[in-house]
Amino acid sequence: MAGNDGLQRAFVKKWRDNAYGCFTSGHKFCREVCPVMQVTRNENHTPTAFHANIVAMEQGAMSIEEVARDYVNCTMCGACELRCPNTLFTGDFYRHRTQTVKVVKAMRALAVQSGIEQPNWKRWVEATVDKKSEPVLDIPINQDNVAAWAKGLDLPIGGDTVLFCDCEAAFYRTSVPRATAMLLKKAGVKFGLMREQWCCGGPAAEMGYTDHARGFAEHNLADWRAVGVKRIITLDPHDYITFTEDYPEYFGEDFDIEVVHITELVAELVRNKKLKLKKPIKRVATYHDPCRLNKRKGIFESPREILRSIPGLTFKDVDHVTQWSYCSGAGGGFAVERPHIAEEISRRRLAKAAELEVDTLVSACVWSERPLSVRGKELKPKVEVRDLMELVAESAGLDYGGVRR
Amino acid sequence: MRVLPLGDSVIDELRAIVGSEYVLIDKPSRYNRTRVPAPFPVHRWSDYVPDVVVLPGTAEEVSEILKLANRFKIPIVPRAGGTGLADGAVPLRKGILVDIKRMNKILEIDLEDRAVTVQPGINMLKLNEELKKYGVFYPDDPASYPCSIVAGRIGTSGFSLISSRYGHTRDLVMSMQVVLPTGEIIEVGDGGGRKLRKSSTGFQLKHLFMGHQGTLGICTEATLELVPRPEAEFAAFFGYRDFEAAYKSTGAMTKSGLATLAAVVLFDEKKIQYLRRDDEAYIPQPKTVNSVIATALYGVEDEVRAAGKRLLRIAKDTGGKYLGDEVSQGDWASRHDRYATPLHGRLLNGQVVPMCWHCEDSAINYSVIPKVKKEWHAIAERYIKKYEIFDDWGCFFYTNAAYKPWGDYLAEIDIGIWEQRLNEETWRAWVECKREVTKVALKYGGSITACHGSTREGDAELVPVEMKGGFEVMKRIKLALDPNNIMNPGKNMLDKAYED
Repeated sequence: MAGNDGLQRAFVKKWRDNAYGCFTSGHKFCREVCPVMQVTRNENHTPTAFHANIVAMEQGAMSIEEVARDYVNCTMCGACELRCPNTLFTGDFYRHRTQTVKVVKAMRALAVQSGIEQPNWKRWVEATVDKKSEPVLDIPINQDNVAAWAKGLDLPIGGDTVLFCDCEAAFYRTSVPRATAMLLKKAGVKFGLMREQWCCGGPAAEMGYTDHARGFAEHNLADWRAVGVKRIITLDPHDYITFTEDYPEYFGEDFDIEVVHITELVAELVRNKKLKLKKPIKRVATYHDPCRLNKRKGIFESPREILRSIPGLTFKDVDHVTQWSYCSGAGGGFAVERPHIAEEISRRRLAKAAELEVDTLVSACVWSERPLSVRGKELKPKVEVRDLMELVAESAGLDYGGVRR
Repeated sequence: MRVLPLGDSVIDELRAIVGSEYVLIDKPSRYNRTRVPAPFPVHRWSDYVPDVVVLPGTAEEVSEILKLANRFKIPIVPRAGGTGLADGAVPLRKGILVDIKRMNKILEIDLEDRAVTVQPGINMLKLNEELKKYGVFYPDDPASYPCSIVAGRIGTSGFSLISSRYGHTRDLVMSMQVVLPTGEIIEVGDGGGRKLRKSSTGFQLKHLFMGHQGTLGICTEATLELVPRPEAEFAAFFGYRDFEAAYKSTGAMTKSGLATLAAVVLFDEKKIQYLRRDDEAYIPQPKTVNSVIATALYGVEDEVRAAGKRLLRIAKDTGGKYLGDEVSQGDWASRHDRYATPLHGRLLNGQVVPMCWHCEDSAINYSVIPKVKKEWHAIAERYIKKYEIFDDWGCFFYTNAAYKPWGDYLAEIDIGIWEQRLNEETWRAWVECKREVTKVALKYGGSITACHGSTREGDAELVPVEMKGGFEVMKRIKLALDPNNIMNPGKNMLDKAYED
């Protein structure tokens, strides 16, 4: 374990001050907004425990072997960081934000480096490395069909701007990338696809497999460079996080590619009348703030702006701060290792929507849409889960097709 | 009391009672249920780690756990939110830690007789999110409102910030189910009715099981008050040129007879200086503001509108300047988490260090506030100079009596402690500092604690001094209900009950 000791010491040295910021505060206001803790009620699954463990590791009272398992219990939604009084009320002055998502990620990486692996994550990452895309379904996933979703859309390869299509969208819910591509075309946005798109690498990084994650990143960057890409459009918030946080960490200042998220771009297109939404959508809907947009990136206005511009739609909004404590359960690899807790998180999210007496829950995160849809079908009356871009395309009069498996 | 080591057979029996997945023996589970937010002797962490953690789901399971603990004479420490500022939830003698957070269901909402029955592992914010749709709320509002838990509120007999209007936990809990130390499950209230607020039958047992810090049993169900959601809230902050003026103004406001007055909070000069350390924790005020009063009114609109006018006039007549809507509404809305942050810690030389926050609370009368405040700051100053790991974060004085804001106050001096530098010497110094602070309150006819509890080192030794003859009664009750001293041993000097 001598090798591990060195890694662990370096980890503790890096994160101890951040940990003490929480340990000495001890408020625990993060607890009741944590989607996992709300279900399990287990104090081990709280951000305060994630930080206190590091203080204990510094004292030599605990080791990575003993704590690794607890760090699986996190969807990396980021609610705890926002609800932390240290971030809320003194963060700007001291340039401080309590870091918990990064701590969880780093601890998972330390676990993998120390030879502690979670069986389902291991299988998931191995399959991703093998197929270059995540094993999102039991269907043949390979490089031949990674862009099959775009059949008939006549999209070029390369160019200044590339639309990056997430694995879940490419194989499971192709209606989302099809709707997105068609409405961008209609609005006159010029974009292409990658020559050979691989997984963004984000999930592998979240599961602790940093080297594999970096391998994906290097391939994708090389592919972008080869066709002269200046700008990436993401349609999945998880990709947006990976490209705006992980890639700059891997490549430093060399990573000079602009990353734009689809909700920001489409809100602008609608605002500037480049995209006209005319067809009424007769639905009563509420909006699910994807954690990575709302809690991690502060993007909560553009999706609402878009929804309010769709004619015929009755929009029952729940503010983005209330939604700090909501989550679909789909993020951070959590559902891969802890499916039953993740299901309960999704069920509770749908129950909140049902209380509003809506027929539709609109999300802007394709990863959330599968688990949320399953729970929505269980309700009486049912609540249908739709992607924001699907509704926008529909209102723009586009017949986008695609599948929602 | 001799503590038997926990053998496999005890663990097996616990697993049989609550199910294997709810018996935790791994280190992180035990270490993370050792401390509370109060300053903690980090260097002695491992001395307080419980032997095993159990997460029961029902009163029957709690009962079986306590019977088992009695058979083997194993200490039991109940834990709710673990957000207390005394050591109620810290396992001084290790043993079995009973964490009740899984028991968080709402069992009945009775709008007819205005009562909600809950399992006590529920948090008040979460409870009120559910109650909102019925137009009612449960107005127990401590600083830890977003994270503390009903059972802990009962165990400590907690303080609510809006108690002048709505009462404290003890006024808001109508009845509860308690598992006694020997395992019997009983109901206690004001008399025997589950939803009755006043009775003269028998002893007033509800109060006995309120604030006992887990030394007399474990609460497993509670029936709570439901209050109409207020139509109107009026929060107002006032600035004063000095503490003397603010103190007098506090007296005038609290003695005015305004029924909608929910809280008056007085900030002293040191508190204002502390809040001026950055420009974000507190909206900047002109130099002429050296003391502040925060107030809030709740009720129906007609009442609050009229009372607000009266309150503004009282403040103006007594030298107060209204600080504006931004501070008043913003700071009141963020009252739970605005005023204590480790990043505000400063050494004497001005260096910023992350400090743990200790809120030393006492209950004192209005007339002695200026004397107590002066002596408290003098004590803090001596320790700050000598040890260079402490910091004076100023005083708050909160109206403390339910429905009667005029007579007595929760007085607190907040002391920052550089926890990373605590060692045995500085920890002993800190305990001595606490003891000195507490003795000042007692000297002026006050009480050790208004809301946190008297379980910490530095406070606990003074419980017999404060309680006098009553302490003998406490010992007899403890011995009668808990013959083997299994319930949270080492707290409140109650071990003395077993000495003869």
